[in-house]
Amino acid sequence: MDDRILTAVAAVVGVPIVLAGYLILSERLLGALSAPVQQRLRPYVWVVPAVSFATVFMVLPTLNTVVLSFMDRKSEAFVGFDNYVFFFTNPDTLGALKNSLLWLVFFTGFVVIGGLLIAVIFDRIRYESLAKTAVFLPLPISAVAASIIWKFMFEYQPPGTVQTGTLNASIGTLGFDPIPWLINSTTNNPALIFVGIWTATGFAMVIISASLKAISGELLEAARMDGANELQLLLLITTPLLYPTLTVVATTMVITALKVFDIPYVLTSGAYDTDVIARQLFSQIADAGHYGRASAVGVVMLIAIIPLLVLNIRRFRAQEEIR
Amino acid sequence: MSRSSNGRRSRVAALGVATLVLAACASSSPSASQGPLASGQIGGALTIWTAWGGGELAAFQKVLEPFKATTGIDVSLTTVRDIAQLAINVEAGTKLPDIASPPTADKREDWAKDGVMKALEDFIDIDAYTSATYPALVTCPEATCVDIGIVDGKHYQLYVKTQVKGLQWYNAKVFTDEPPTTYDEMLAITPPSGASLFCMGLESGSDSGWPASDMVGNIIMRQSGAQVFTDWYQGKHKWNSPEIKAAYELFGQMADKAYGGTNTALSTAFQRGHKPLFSDPPGCLFYEQATFVTAFFLEDYPDLKAVDDYNFFVDPGIDPANDGNVMGFADSFVMYNDTPQARAFMNFMTTKEAQEIFVGAGGTLAARADVTNFPDPVFQTAADVAANAKNLLPTPGDQMPSDMKKAYWKSLLDFVNDQSKLDSLLTHLDEVQAASYPQ
Repeated sequence: MDDRILTAVAAVVGVPIVLAGYLILSERLLGALSAPVQQRLRPYVWVVPAVSFATVFMVLPTLNTVVLSFMDRKSEAFVGFDNYVFFFTNPDTLGALKNSLLWLVFFTGFVVIGGLLIAVIFDRIRYESLAKTAVFLPLPISAVAASIIWKFMFEYQPPGTVQTGTLNASIGTLGFDPIPWLINSTTNNPALIFVGIWTATGFAMVIISASLKAISGELLEAARMDGANELQLLLLITTPLLYPTLTVVATTMVITALKVFDIPYVLTSGAYDTDVIARQLFSQIADAGHYGRASAVGVVMLIAIIPLLVLNIRRFRAQEEIR
Repeated sequence: MSRSSNGRRSRVAALGVATLVLAACASSSPSASQGPLASGQIGGALTIWTAWGGGELAAFQKVLEPFKATTGIDVSLTTVRDIAQLAINVEAGTKLPDIASPPTADKREDWAKDGVMKALEDFIDIDAYTSATYPALVTCPEATCVDIGIVDGKHYQLYVKTQVKGLQWYNAKVFTDEPPTTYDEMLAITPPSGASLFCMGLESGSDSGWPASDMVGNIIMRQSGAQVFTDWYQGKHKWNSPEIKAAYELFGQMADKAYGGTNTALSTAFQRGHKPLFSDPPGCLFYEQATFVTAFFLEDYPDLKAVDDYNFFVDPGIDPANDGNVMGFADSFVMYNDTPQARAFMNFMTTKEAQEIFVGAGGTLAARADVTNFPDPVFQTAADVAANAKNLLPTPGDQMPSDMKKAYWKSLLDFVNDQSKLDSLLTHLDEVQAASYPQ
C-alpha cells in the first residue's frame, strides 16, 4: 500500500539475496580460472560489495558536500570560496566556532580525566559496581531528555520569590541570589558543557575501567615493592598502560564535542553566545535554506576531525605491528 | 439532529466504503466529485499538517468532527511545528501533505507560480469567500499582496481564524483607571508599590524572542506608520535607521520596567508571563500579548472571568497620524495536492458552521466577520478592534525570510540582555537583510 514499506522490504530481503547471488556467481566464475589467478583475484572480488557500499553511501555524499560548499544558496552556480569566507568572517559563525573550541577542550578534558579518575578510584572501593552504575546512569538518557532535565535544574525565578530550579533553590538556602545560568554569559557555556560531561563521563569510565582491569596486578605489586607511592603508580604505571584506551576515548569525545547539537539547541537554541557549529549547520539549512553555507560548515567540521582520524589509524597500525 | 439512527447507519456504511476505497486507491485515485460544498459521502483519505498543539489542536479536532461525519473522509492530522519541513519536502521532491500552512514569505511567489500551491479560485466560490472574510485578509494594495498569499490576483491561502496582537492585558481588579492614550502616558503610570509596570515572557524554546518582536512591530507601526512598517518587513527599509532604532529604544524602556528584571523576562515562557498579574500582591500591571493568551490565563487560573477579572486595552498611540494601525495574525490553509478530499476540506473551512466551532472553543476570532459566537466577551471587543482598524497589518516576523525572522528574534534577546549592543545588533541585522531576501 505504501511504497516506503515496499522499499524497506526490498532493502531488508533483497540486498542480502543480491549479495549472496553476487558471491555465489563470482565464486563460480573464479572456479573456472587457474589456481594462482584465483588466489590473486579473490580478495578483490570479495571486497567489491563493501567498497561499493562505502562509496555510494559515504564517499560520494562527502564529495558532493564538498562540491556544494562551493556553490550558492540553491546549489545552482559556483561562488568560489564565498561560503568559507562567510564562515570565517561572520560574527555568528565565528562565535559558534569559538564555543565549539570551548566544548572541544573542556568537554573532552573533563570527560577523559574525570572518567580516568573515577575508574581508578572506584577500582579500590567496596561497592564498585553500585558506584559505577550511578555514574553510568545518565548515558542511556538521550541528549534531548538530559537537556530538558537540566533545563529544570537551571530554572530561574526573580530574586526574592520561590526558586523552582534545583540549583537556584540550593544556592538560595546558602543566602545567595539566583543566577540566570543559561542567560549570563559567564555561566551559560560552562552550564551547557557540564550537561554534556554529565551524560558522557559514564561512557569514558566504563571503557577505561575495562582496560584498567586488564592491567596485571603483579606489575603494580612490583612497583609497590620498589617503593612507588599510589600517585606515582597512577602517573607512571597505570596511565601509560592506558594510553591506547585514553586515545580512543579522547578521539570519540572530540568528535562528540564537534558534533554537539542537541544540548545547545534545547537549552538556549544558540542564543546569548552559546551557539556551536553543528547548530549553525542546522540553522543554515532550516532557517536560511542555504545549502552552500551549510555544506561549508560540514566540510570545516570534517577537516577538523581528519587529524584525529590519522592519529587513531597510526596508533591502530602501531598496535597491529606489535602483535 | 433528528436523523440520528439513519445517519449513524449511513456513517457505518461510509466507513466500509472508505475502507474499500482506501484498499483500492493504491494505484488509482478516486474519481473527482466537483461539488463546491462538502456535502455527501466522498470517502478516501486526507492528510493535514498543522503547527497547532494543546487547546488550538483540540479545537481543530472538534472542527473536523462534522466534516469527517458528513464526508466519510479519513483525516490523518499531524502536528508539524517546523515550517521549514514543507520546504525541505518540496526541494527533495518528496510527498507533501494535502493541506498545510503556507510556507515562509520568501517562497510564496515561487510556489504559487510553480503550482506547488493551488489557487483557491479553481475550487471555491471566491466571491462568497472574500465578501465574508475580514477585508484585510483578502484585499491588498499591490505591494503587499504576496504577504497575504495573493499572487497575480489569485488567492492561495484560505484564512480560517484570526488573532489581534498588541493588546495590554491587565487584572481588572488591580488596574481600574482609564487606559492610557499614548506610550508616554503608559510608561509614566506608577504601579502599586512592589510591582513592576510590565510583565514579560520572551522565552519560547527555539523561537525565543518572538513575543518581543511583536512588541517592537507594534511600536514601529504606531511610531513611524504603515509604510515604514511594510517596507521594513519586506526588506526595503534598513534596520540601522532612525525609525527602527527608535522602536528598539522605546521597547528597551519597557524592558527596563519588566517584572523581576530582564533576566526574568528572558527566562519566562510566554505562556506563563501573565502569572504575576494575578498574584497577590500583584507583580505587575500590564502584560502585552495577543488574544490567544486568555487560554493560558485560564490554564493557570480556571476561575477567572473575562471583563470582571481580566481585560485589555489596545497598545496606545504614539503619532496620532498612525492611530488605527493594528497588528493581526491569521491562520490559513493551503492546498498542496488537488484531490476531491482536499477540495471538500477547503470548502468546508470557509463555512460559517466550521469557523463557529473554532470560535466557540474560545481563544480566537474567526476569519469570517459574521462569526460572533464568542464565549468570552473580550473577544467581541477584539473583533471590533479588527473590524475598525484603519490598517490591519500582519505579524512582521512571519513576513520575513526565515533567517531574517530568526535573526530579528535573537537580536531582541541580546538587546534585552545588554541594551548597549543596539548599534552592532542593528548593523548585523542589515547584513542578514542584504543576504536573505530573494533578489
